[in-house]
Amino acid sequence: MDLLEYQVKEWFGEIGIPVLPSQRIYHPTDLKRLKIHYPIVLKSQVHAGDRAKAGGVRIVETTIDAVAAAQNIFNLPIWGELPEVVLAESKYVASQEFYLAVVLDTAICRPILLGCQEPDVDWELAGEKMQYVVVEQEFSPFYARRLALKMGLQGALMQSVSGVLEKLYHLFLQKDLDLVEINPLAINHAGEVMALNGKVRVNQRAIGRHPEIASMAAKMVGHHGKNQINTRLGDWDSLAMQGKIGILGNGTGSMMATCDLVSSAGGKPGMCLNLRHASIIETAPTTFCDRLIKGLNILAADKSIQVILINLLGSIPEPEAAASAIVEFISQHQNEQTSSNLRTNGNKRELNSPHIVIRLAGSELNAAKNVLAPLETDAYRLIIVENLDEAVATAVNLVKPPAYQKVS
Amino acid sequence: MNLTPESKVIIQGFSEFISATHVAQMKAYGTNIVAGVAPGRGGQEIYGLPVFDLVEEVAEKFGVIDTTIICVHPYQVLDAALEAIASDISQIIIISAGVPPLDMVQLLRKAEDYETLVVGPNSPGIIVPGKILLGTHPSEFYTPGSVGIVSRSSTLTYEVAWELTKAGLGQSISVSIGSDAIVGSSFLQWLQILDEDDTTEAIVLVGQPGGGSEETAARYIAEAIDKPVVAYIAGREAPPRNTWRQTGTLVTVVGRPPNFGTAQSKIAAFEAAEVPVAERPSLIPELLKKSINL
Repeated sequence: MDLLEYQVKEWFGEIGIPVLPSQRIYHPTDLKRLKIHYPIVLKSQVHAGDRAKAGGVRIVETTIDAVAAAQNIFNLPIWGELPEVVLAESKYVASQEFYLAVVLDTAICRPILLGCQEPDVDWELAGEKMQYVVVEQEFSPFYARRLALKMGLQGALMQSVSGVLEKLYHLFLQKDLDLVEINPLAINHAGEVMALNGKVRVNQRAIGRHPEIASMAAKMVGHHGKNQINTRLGDWDSLAMQGKIGILGNGTGSMMATCDLVSSAGGKPGMCLNLRHASIIETAPTTFCDRLIKGLNILAADKSIQVILINLLGSIPEPEAAASAIVEFISQHQNEQTSSNLRTNGNKRELNSPHIVIRLAGSELNAAKNVLAPLETDAYRLIIVENLDEAVATAVNLVKPPAYQKVS
Repeated sequence: MNLTPESKVIIQGFSEFISATHVAQMKAYGTNIVAGVAPGRGGQEIYGLPVFDLVEEVAEKFGVIDTTIICVHPYQVLDAALEAIASDISQIIIISAGVPPLDMVQLLRKAEDYETLVVGPNSPGIIVPGKILLGTHPSEFYTPGSVGIVSRSSTLTYEVAWELTKAGLGQSISVSIGSDAIVGSSFLQWLQILDEDDTTEAIVLVGQPGGGSEETAARYIAEAIDKPVVAYIAGREAPPRNTWRQTGTLVTVVGRPPNFGTAQSKIAAFEAAEVPVAERPSLIPELLKKSINL
């Protein structure tokens, strides 16, 4: 989960990284009660990058200009996202700008400090310009000085930049981040440092132990609306594919393998979800059953999905309860369908509940099998298969050929 | 490595990740589970195991413990593992999934200092079919034999074991090192263990997108492993994901190739190392039989 600039700067301020005086603007008229001095910079608070190029950043000298610019920014979608907040910030005159970051490198299982003497790094060429230091053992400020020196800094500047890095690292640890970035870190003629912009990526597996981040996440979801599946998916361990066969697996590997198999059997995988973890929005503890029900509902809400393929192998917590959840899901869908058929005077409508192919293998899953087996009839559109290749073939065969195009 | 039935084992924590069935299965397999540790529940009995509040209490009573199986809430994993290390436990198996990565960074630093073997998190542990089960592998998919399995995915480990069993190929040791972003032991460590293990004649390696451990393993196999290896990589169809973007940023900086972390890059690495790659799990036995016959 990425934070917005103003949220990042609040954190910077709390930990002692210098940020400019600023004010949050929720409506253009808020600018009439501005406490900071002109000239100011107005910045659209969206998650998308390239905000400045898109016109989301404006420098203004007067209240009239500011109100007009703010009106403009509030109505300007950037990569489809409209800002809820615009940040008004003092303008800063920089003589030099740097890039600083702390990032977790999962390939070497250690955090890395990054630094560059250029603010807007062209990532294609970053290999030549970017300096880095691996934090091998417990962090100590010398790691930060090592990076500052590698960046070619000296004297007081080396000290002040490594001081900022040190705070950045503490923020990284304290809040369980995957990435924290200052871009740019500005230096003025007096050699003072100032974080002009920043980026924070929170680790989704740690959100539950940070109540303040959890409530930010909850607000973000509320903001995006509950029906936007993509938002929810982005936060789940999932693959967003566009095909007709939705996949639920109990583990990333299993989910991916099933997706590959569907593809190589000539089918088109749709959304794939891993049931082993909860979505990050679920900060309260969840059970396998909760995740299964949620997964089924997400897949069923996607009207392009005709078949749901569930791959369960080995063991799952409370197999009987999981099976009952599937039974309930099916009966709910049948009710919906019956009532919608009634509403349309019995006319056949396209609203068909998805077929469910469930692959069950493992003695612990026998309990689940016993619950599900009675439903294994055409009417319930449920098929239980033990062999994975066979389950995949069954799912692929169930997908209807593309709808017949009517010539009008 | 102590993977014998005499090895003393404890379970730390009882959560969603371990059930009565798992414990019963381990006991039936002959695993010497001496106790459970669950703070606040000392003196009770859970799944037929005497429960203690602290690991050191168990060690006082039973002597040095060889292996702990950690099933606590993911946010308590670091603490549980540090407690185990403090009681001189040298093998830690973490079943819990979703441990915050910075906790793992901290744990790995400690484990490296103490030369502790950490398997997982998000791992079903280790099974030596017919001998010992340390974790939650469903044992019915396994038969004793000579194929070693090392995997990054839990369910795919059983998937492969079952395909082998159906094809009449038994297994020597099977381990899933865990599918979280940061895990303890590596493919390299396990390839080395399987290479040195007398009962193992061939190895199956199961990988998935993310990181570069499969590529490193492929190079290691070409250089140092004489036993035949067959690989299977899930996730060929997986589109590049958000979580990889961050690694992608790093890629250019620390000089990694642009397709770093993808299934394609891993498959290419195995092909370059002349390790056969199975297109799907059910094709693994065939490839294995071919390489054993060579």
